[in-house]
Amino acid sequence: MPESALPLAGLKVLDISSFIAAPAAAVVLGDWGADVIKIEGPDGDPNRRIMTDSANYPKATVNYPWEMDSRNKRSIVLDLKKPEARAALDRLLKWADVMIVNFPPLVREKLKLSYEDIKPVNPRLIYASLTGYGETGPDRDRPGFDATAYFARSGLLDAQRYEGGPPGVPGPAQGDRATAMALVSSILMALIHRMKTGEGSWVGTSLLGNGLWACGVIAQAALANAYLPHRPPPDRPRSALGNIYRTSDDRWLQLTIVAEDKMWPPLAKALGHPELLTDPRFAETVERRKHSADLAAIMSTAFGSNTYAHWLKALSAGGITFGVISRPQDVPHDEQAVACGAVVETKIPDLPRTLSNPIRLGFAEQRTAHPAPKLGQHSEEILREVGLEAREIAALKATGAVK
Amino acid sequence: MSPLPLSGLLVLDISTFIAAPAAAVALADYGADVIKIEAPGEGDPHRHNYKRSATYPRSEHNFPLQLDGRLKRSLAIDLKKPEARPVLEKLVRRADIMIVNFPPPTRERLRLRYEDMQAVNPKLVYCSLTGYGETGPDRDRPGFDVTAYFGRSGILDAARYEGGPPGLSLPAQGDRATAMTLVAAILLGLRHRDQTGEGCWVGTSLYANGAWANGTTLAGAAIGGKLVTREPPHKPKNALTNLYRTRDDRWLQLLMVRDDRLWPTFCTVISQPELATDPRYTDREERKRRAFELHALLAPIFASKTYAEWEALLSKTGIPFGVIGRVADVVDDEQARHAGIFAETTNPEVPRTVNNPIRLGFAKPRVSGKPSAVGEHSEEILRELAYSDAEIEALRKAGALG
Repeated sequence: MPESALPLAGLKVLDISSFIAAPAAAVVLGDWGADVIKIEGPDGDPNRRIMTDSANYPKATVNYPWEMDSRNKRSIVLDLKKPEARAALDRLLKWADVMIVNFPPLVREKLKLSYEDIKPVNPRLIYASLTGYGETGPDRDRPGFDATAYFARSGLLDAQRYEGGPPGVPGPAQGDRATAMALVSSILMALIHRMKTGEGSWVGTSLLGNGLWACGVIAQAALANAYLPHRPPPDRPRSALGNIYRTSDDRWLQLTIVAEDKMWPPLAKALGHPELLTDPRFAETVERRKHSADLAAIMSTAFGSNTYAHWLKALSAGGITFGVISRPQDVPHDEQAVACGAVVETKIPDLPRTLSNPIRLGFAEQRTAHPAPKLGQHSEEILREVGLEAREIAALKATGAVK
Repeated sequence: MSPLPLSGLLVLDISTFIAAPAAAVALADYGADVIKIEAPGEGDPHRHNYKRSATYPRSEHNFPLQLDGRLKRSLAIDLKKPEARPVLEKLVRRADIMIVNFPPPTRERLRLRYEDMQAVNPKLVYCSLTGYGETGPDRDRPGFDVTAYFGRSGILDAARYEGGPPGLSLPAQGDRATAMTLVAAILLGLRHRDQTGEGCWVGTSLYANGAWANGTTLAGAAIGGKLVTREPPHKPKNALTNLYRTRDDRWLQLLMVRDDRLWPTFCTVISQPELATDPRYTDREERKRRAFELHALLAPIFASKTYAEWEALLSKTGIPFGVIGRVADVVDDEQARHAGIFAETTNPEVPRTVNNPIRLGFAKPRVSGKPSAVGEHSEEILRELAYSDAEIEALRKAGALG
């Protein structure tokens, strides 16, 4: 399929953002054909170094997070703090259809990058901003991260804990990547608006808003004064048949039995405990729920006596429903992950496979990932494209505004 | 304000539960006319989740429906009955977008595949959501948020403390994130239609969305990166950047990165001045080496006061700290109001709802009223399709219309 057939072919995007949620939205636009230019300061996006800087990132010899969040982008180094850079930035703004920023509002004001500053330069521009906590209000200038704004402030981590246990654990950039899809949707709405009216617009989203949208059920319940009790821990579940169990090789199985009456006999047999079927404590659902801690203890010992592979076979043979709790290292090798298009091949020599964005279109395939740019790799090429002459570029370099 | 960006679009929501209906909600929020096609009688089973699901908070009001059913009209027809087919096809001919979440074999049985619908309306943007994708060994497996988005993608395994059980997910947490992807897919489909005049298939799966959310860890795993385990709060790497439970069961996040400077202040604040001169803890490296010991010492101290008491003591000391937020606090959070996260409704039973996270400078999401009852708009919609009273009556008699 030619790249010109991609739905966003010809769309020009300036990614003036850092870390993950906003750059990931730019990745998605690039996957569908947009020409994405990443504008970075002289030190580059700190996401270039996050793999080594963050204790929560898997360590590898390849800079996989940077490759994933910057694929198919071009990089220009423009020091927006230097007045000399402004003319070049304005040229880029006139060239662009979409601009993505994630500076807090105060920083945008200082750098004259607020929507009001930009609109006169290009009234057709779609200006998309991501914040931690929104564009106004007491916390608008507070830097927001996925762990703090999406997960902690929203109440997600507090709700994601077992009764009496510590808060849940957010995976690196988990909320950022979900938020990226909301940002993409907002940009696409603005494109529709521009098509109808000829006008550009401001659009955006916040990490806090996305965290609350994700836990919408409990947030909506709280708005109706209903609250979710914390989940009891696995050793005293509400139902031993809807619980998780550890296997002898430290894997976890998630039993999701709904039709208890039908499934209890085959389960007891699969566990190697047919005598439980005549135990009065576990005769009917009501008794089993009443003695769920006792039953969970027996089942826990049984599951712990054999391997995950054994239980997969034994439960499937009995027609017993269960959920698979995959380990991250299993997913890239899961046939279904490839079938659903989540794991794809790249043209990056050190990183042969990556994660595609989750949008699927019958009429187009996502662009293949090529290596992420080196810092300032395309500075000259981009400035020439927007009409700067060689001596102008040289002058900018001399001031340090461009690298 | 300009007209809403999606006004004039007709959407058929032939889906159940949450991810796909939530995408239709976001389209309705921004102006689309959404018709929910559901089975006569019970309708979408999600209508009853607030009473049936053990993982939902209890309420006498159908709060989830305000979130996932708002601003839709309901048409109750039985798609299994041949009499319903002409009604469906008339609607498909008028529709711009159709959303389904039946697994592929059900779509085939009901003749609701893309190929079937394309023949009826070649300009239709057909959107399907699956648990695990449209092809492959598990394509027909019903997928739920907790199994497909969270379990299979490795999120729950990664979201645990070392040695502890897998993490927990909240009801519909992955469904709602996936809804935003569906919205983006549909909008790309509309763009394609505008560019080429042709309809198309678009879609996503819960599994692919879970994998995307877990993308950093999976990308690391795919090249054999060493996966990270999170130490539980009682076995911290550093006791001074750790979580502590307070007397009122809140979790205080201590973030004392500059303990070289702040240690004496901290000892005073926690009323343990002798610690400041305790040789076991005077040195920064020693404090790290003795992190478990130090935690054992600090945990009962933090557990002796409420979060509010700690907040009063720690504020203005320069010691960075925070709290793990609770949903109960957020609903009245001034910042949430500024961020446009919640919206008033005109439904007295559920007076406030959660906005979708998309914000547009040129339009506000529509205000929602009481979600429609099963089949509430059946007659109205059939009249729009020019059905006569006699025809409507015949459909009812056949049991095809509710």
